Order: sequence, then C-alpha cells, then structure tokens
Amino acid sequence: MELLDRYLNAVRFWLPAAQQDDIIAELGDDIRSQVEERESALGHKLDDDDVAAILKERGHPMLMASRYLPQRSLIGPVLYPAYVVVLRVVLLWVMIPVFVLIVGPVVIATAANPTAGAIQTVWNLAMANVFALGVITLVFAILERRPLRELEKWDPRKLPHVPKATFIADPAKPAAGKAIPRATSIAELICGVICTGVCMQAAWYLGGFNLDIVHVALAPVWRSVYWLILLSCVAGIPMGWFGLVWPSRIRLRSIIRLSIDAVTLIAIGVLSQAGTLLTLTSPKLSPASLAEAMRWTTLGLQIGLGAAAIVSLIDMAQEGRRYSRARW
Amino acid sequence: MNAELFENLKLELRRGCLIVAVLAHLRVEHYGYTLRKALGDAGLAVDEGTLYPLLRRLETQGLLVSEWREENKRNKRFYRLSPDGELILGQLLDEWQSINGSINRIVQGE
Repeated sequence: MELLDRYLNAVRFWLPAAQQDDIIAELGDDIRSQVEERESALGHKLDDDDVAAILKERGHPMLMASRYLPQRSLIGPVLYPAYVVVLRVVLLWVMIPVFVLIVGPVVIATAANPTAGAIQTVWNLAMANVFALGVITLVFAILERRPLRELEKWDPRKLPHVPKATFIADPAKPAAGKAIPRATSIAELICGVICTGVCMQAAWYLGGFNLDIVHVALAPVWRSVYWLILLSCVAGIPMGWFGLVWPSRIRLRSIIRLSIDAVTLIAIGVLSQAGTLLTLTSPKLSPASLAEAMRWTTLGLQIGLGAAAIVSLIDMAQEGRRYSRARW
Repeated sequence: MNAELFENLKLELRRGCLIVAVLAHLRVEHYGYTLRKALGDAGLAVDEGTLYPLLRRLETQGLLVSEWREENKRNKRFYRLSPDGELILGQLLDEWQSINGSINRIVQGE
C-alpha cells in the first residue's frame, strides 16, 4: 500500500526522533486494520481513491503528528497580554511616529531624490519593526521559561489606585472619575513630535530668512530662547507617552504639563523684555513702508506673545487644580 | 450556534470520561484498533488521534503495560492494566460515583 507508506512517512517527519518508530508502527497497524475491515465488508480490495479517503479522514500528517506531541507555546497565556501591549506600544507608538515624523523628513530632505528617500524610510521602518518584533518576542520567550516568582510574591496593597480625579476634555461636559483620554495622549504625542521637528527645522532660520522681497533678521534673543522653546516641544512627547502607557498617572502628566507652561512663560518673559525682536530690510521697499511693516509685525508679535502667556497661565491654573485633585 | 455549542460542551464532557472508560476496558487485553471499536460499540466513539496519545500517556504514568506481539502476520501492540492502573481505576470509579451523586443532588435540589 504505497499511499499508506507515503502518509506514514509524512507523519514520521513531524514526530520526535525517539518515538518515531513506535508511533508509526502503531498508527500503521491501526490504519491497515481499518482498511482490512473495509475490504472485508465490501468484498474487494480498496483502490487508491478509497485508501486516500480513509487517510483524509485521519487528517493532515502534521495534524496527526501534533496529537502525539505535548502542548507547548512560545509565549503562554499569562504573559501573552503583556507581550501584545509591549508590541503595540513599541511598533505603533514609538517606531512609526519616530520614523514618519523625525527620521523620514530628515532622510527625504537630505536625499538626492526625495522619492527614493521616502522609499528608503519606509523600508528602514519595516526592517526596524521586524528587528524590534524579534527582540521583544525573544525576551518574552525567555521570560516564559523562567518561573514567574513576581506573580507569587504580590501584595494587593501595592496595586495602582483607581483615579478619582476628573479630566475635563470639554469644559462644558466634565467627565467624572476618568483617566486621561487615549485620544488626548495620542494627540499630545503627535503634536510633540511635529513641533519638535518644526522647531529643529527652524534652527536654520535663526540667522535670518527671506520673505519674498523682504529680508527678516531675528534679534539675538531668539537664539537664547530657542532652546527653551525646543525643550517645551520635546517635553510634549513624554507627556503624550505617559498618558498612553499610564493613563491613571494624572499627577505625573500634570507635572510635565506645568513644567512646559513654566518654560513657555519664561521664554515669553525673556522675549517681552528684549525690545526689538526682528528687523526688516528690503532694497525694493521705501523706508516708510518698511517702518509700517515693522510696526504691524511687532504688534502681531506682541499680541501673539500675550495670547501665548494667557493660554499658558490658564493651562497652569487648570493643571494645578487637576494635580491637587488627583490621588495618583 | 446552539447545536455547535452543545457539541463542543458534549465533547468536553466526554473527554473527561474517556480515561475511566479506557482503563475499564483494559481490564481485558486489547490492541488499539479493537479498543477503539469496543469503545465505539459502548457508545463512546473516539478517534485514533485522541486514543493513541492517551494510551501512551497512561503507559508513561505507569497505569498500563504494553507489548508487541504478532497476530495475523502483523505486529500489534497490546495494552492492559498494570497493578497501579487497577488501583487507580478503582479510585476513579469511586470518584465517578461520588460526582454522579453530587450532580443528582444538585439537579434534584433545583
């Protein structure tokens, strides 16, 4: 029965070496017994189609072999939820934003061919994700094979508190007893990355830039506050990150938010004391026109700085109240 | 959906009974195929992919003993209860009766 021998050989491939002969001998005898009984009932020899039908009922060789193997898993049911969370955070909330918002623009801007730069960025992101997936899977596979003593020595009193503080996403509709909404944290994270990128690009223009026929020269004070502004932008990234990973840690997020507001106010204070913030020159405009443009630009800047200061103060007040009401 | 759910739950229920049924049948010597037929005739049909691994496990646990013998010009592996297997079977049958009694009390108590 050549078909049966082929089936048994295929099953043998997937069995542990030490048990192959024994299992195949027994399985082969069982199938031959079934064939003989069928032949006895029908009164004639079975052809290949009949034998194939019997073997198909038994199941694929890999499936048949698996029934003789012990139940094993690379990452078991206890660690699997944590594995999925780590994967999601690293691959979705770290790798993709970093590559799309920081690495990508830099590569594309410096590449001879922007399209090639974009393709290179996507490829690098894919490879980085594959590497990260492999490392994370390996780490969890190792953790799976060591005893989880941490799960035996736990104290219910050390579990995180349930947040009682409210987070007002819409002042008209206060939400009671909720942690930081995920959408807010995502928005903060993305804004932090974008603002950091824009701020880093802006460093090239601190020496001055051209707007059509007008040359804009920024006052030296901008170089002093540039690092404060950059710090505020960068701080938005961990703030969004913490909000995603620990949405109930209201106080931690408030501390970061208050720090950003404080730095913003310091920068605004320095700029307000500086006097002239920029100078406009143009070979094509009259002195009167330049003076008029200068007046309106300065007024706009003063209004902008004032508005930014008011927003920062209001935000500080709100965050201060949120901090005082949060337990965690 | 209910039929599928019932079949799955029935399978789980029968799976729990299979060990007792196999040990009970092996008070008399059988080889795999005849054991499977006997179980099927008794109303407890089981596929070979479940039975043979179970027989190996029970033998590893010392509840069965086996030997290869030639019968009808073919080598077959015959199983029967070991002394430990007989002891365990007695205990499992007592446990079975106890569970039966508990279920009956729960059902009648409703």
